[in-house]
Amino acid sequence: MDVMFALTVIKESKPKAIVSADNIKGDVHIQIKKEDLLELALFLKTDSRLEFDMLSDLFAADYPRRPERIEVIYNFYSIKNNFRVFIKVNSKADETEYPSLTSVYNSANWFEREVYDMFGLKFKNHPDLKRILNPDDWDGYPLLKDYPLRKRPEPEEIKMDAPGYIEPEKI
Amino acid sequence: MFEYKDFLIETDKFALNIGPSHPATHGVLRVLVKLDGETVVNAEPIIGYLHTSMEKYAEFRTYHQAETITDRMDYVSGASNNLGYILAVEKLCGVKAPKRAEYVRVILAELTRISSHLVWLATHAVDLGALTEFLYCFRERELILDIIETVTGARMTPSFYRVGGLAMDAHKDFFDKTRSFIKIFPEKISEYEALLTKNKIWLERTKNLGIISAEDAINFALTGPSLRGSGIKYDVRKANPYSSYEDFDFEIPTGETGDVYDRYLVRIEEMRQSLKIISQAVENVPEGEYLSYDEYPLYVIPPKKRALTTMEGMISLFKYGMEGIKPPKGEAYVSIENPRGELGFYIISDGSAFPYRMRVRPPSFCNISALNIMVKGHLVADLIAVMGSIDILLGEVDR
Repeated sequence: MDVMFALTVIKESKPKAIVSADNIKGDVHIQIKKEDLLELALFLKTDSRLEFDMLSDLFAADYPRRPERIEVIYNFYSIKNNFRVFIKVNSKADETEYPSLTSVYNSANWFEREVYDMFGLKFKNHPDLKRILNPDDWDGYPLLKDYPLRKRPEPEEIKMDAPGYIEPEKI
Repeated sequence: MFEYKDFLIETDKFALNIGPSHPATHGVLRVLVKLDGETVVNAEPIIGYLHTSMEKYAEFRTYHQAETITDRMDYVSGASNNLGYILAVEKLCGVKAPKRAEYVRVILAELTRISSHLVWLATHAVDLGALTEFLYCFRERELILDIIETVTGARMTPSFYRVGGLAMDAHKDFFDKTRSFIKIFPEKISEYEALLTKNKIWLERTKNLGIISAEDAINFALTGPSLRGSGIKYDVRKANPYSSYEDFDFEIPTGETGDVYDRYLVRIEEMRQSLKIISQAVENVPEGEYLSYDEYPLYVIPPKKRALTTMEGMISLFKYGMEGIKPPKGEAYVSIENPRGELGFYIISDGSAFPYRMRVRPPSFCNISALNIMVKGHLVADLIAVMGSIDILLGEVDR
């Protein structure tokens, strides 16, 4: 079955949720609003014609010039039907009501932690939202476009009470 | 009167840190284990010790420079990672590589799969106390690295592919060495199996251990041998064939229960199937161009000979070197079957010579996230066996 069939099913069943949908180089990209995300994900997973049983990937991209600068991209895959759709959701970086998909897919847990770590997007109702790749006390969100490539902590930011730290004059 | 329970000491659950620097974690993974006696109650993998922000670095590299980042991600299967990245860039540009280049890519990717599985088998066996296996596996891995070195010039980080083909043509020596490897390798696999597959100690240590059901495996987005061990017949090479995989005849091995032993069997059988693909590719590799420069002169570098003998070739080689290629605005996603699972590259281009965003879907990242439900209720010693059987690579988990 073709993935365009999946698109027609989604379009028929959830016409209100879809902002726009297009087909780029054989991949289906659907733009939706964040309010409809949880409902649509549940529909994608449980509908017998679609059965998107795997959340294969979840990541974000930063567009600083847009009013809602973070674009979160969900990569849903159906093993049985070999469908793949990309769902895109726009959001502000300091959004407080952004829904989490951890109740639907277990794989969303670590992916959302990574998006939080890299972009600072806080997922509501995430069970364990903390940094995953960077240290817990890291300053800033590295994958935002205004974060410099070679950022170093300022000298005064270095903790003087760190274990093993020797003051320069004592050496 | 005293009762029996009065003589029991009150026990408490305690936390144990395995790693970040521990031989059994295969890198710098830290597992925070909560123990009740010797039984694992909860195991939380803590990652990020090898994080070098490769996705950010790629945004400051041209498309061909960023390729060198991808093989440092998964450093035991570099050629495979390069393939995923290059296919994504090719999809972005609308370029198709010539058949000869695709076949050589398949040979390199499958050789890499075998060498990666050998590293896995060696370290997994050492974790469980079978040291001989380690020496056997590294003996054959050396042969594979030699073959890769003859054609790419590098043992582990080849970066040999270019958009629309290869950096150089594969020569006769490469095919001859590969042929002689195909001849000797099947009996070596039997040698590995003779040591382990029916070994009583091995069975006791791996059977019915670290079981993950098919539903859980899909829900945690496991891919590769970890998913196939649970009985799901999903392989990107069959589901969405890329780089001429549809030309080759091979099977997808699957397990039944999804325990450590099944994942072991799946990987052993995968080595045989990879060998089958390589022998088909080596025998049928077509003659012809190795770069599709004539079809897509805008995106593909000219072959070296033409660059040095013709004026146009020289000019375009200079331009690619100085400016890099500029794919049209757009987005592309390509996933390939890495030795560890489904490796996806999502590249967003804004029309400049640098990728606007490169996202890697790392298979090991998803696979290790399911560690907790695999080891719950087992002993600490079994945690090491389970961790080995998922075949994680921290360079790729942390990127």
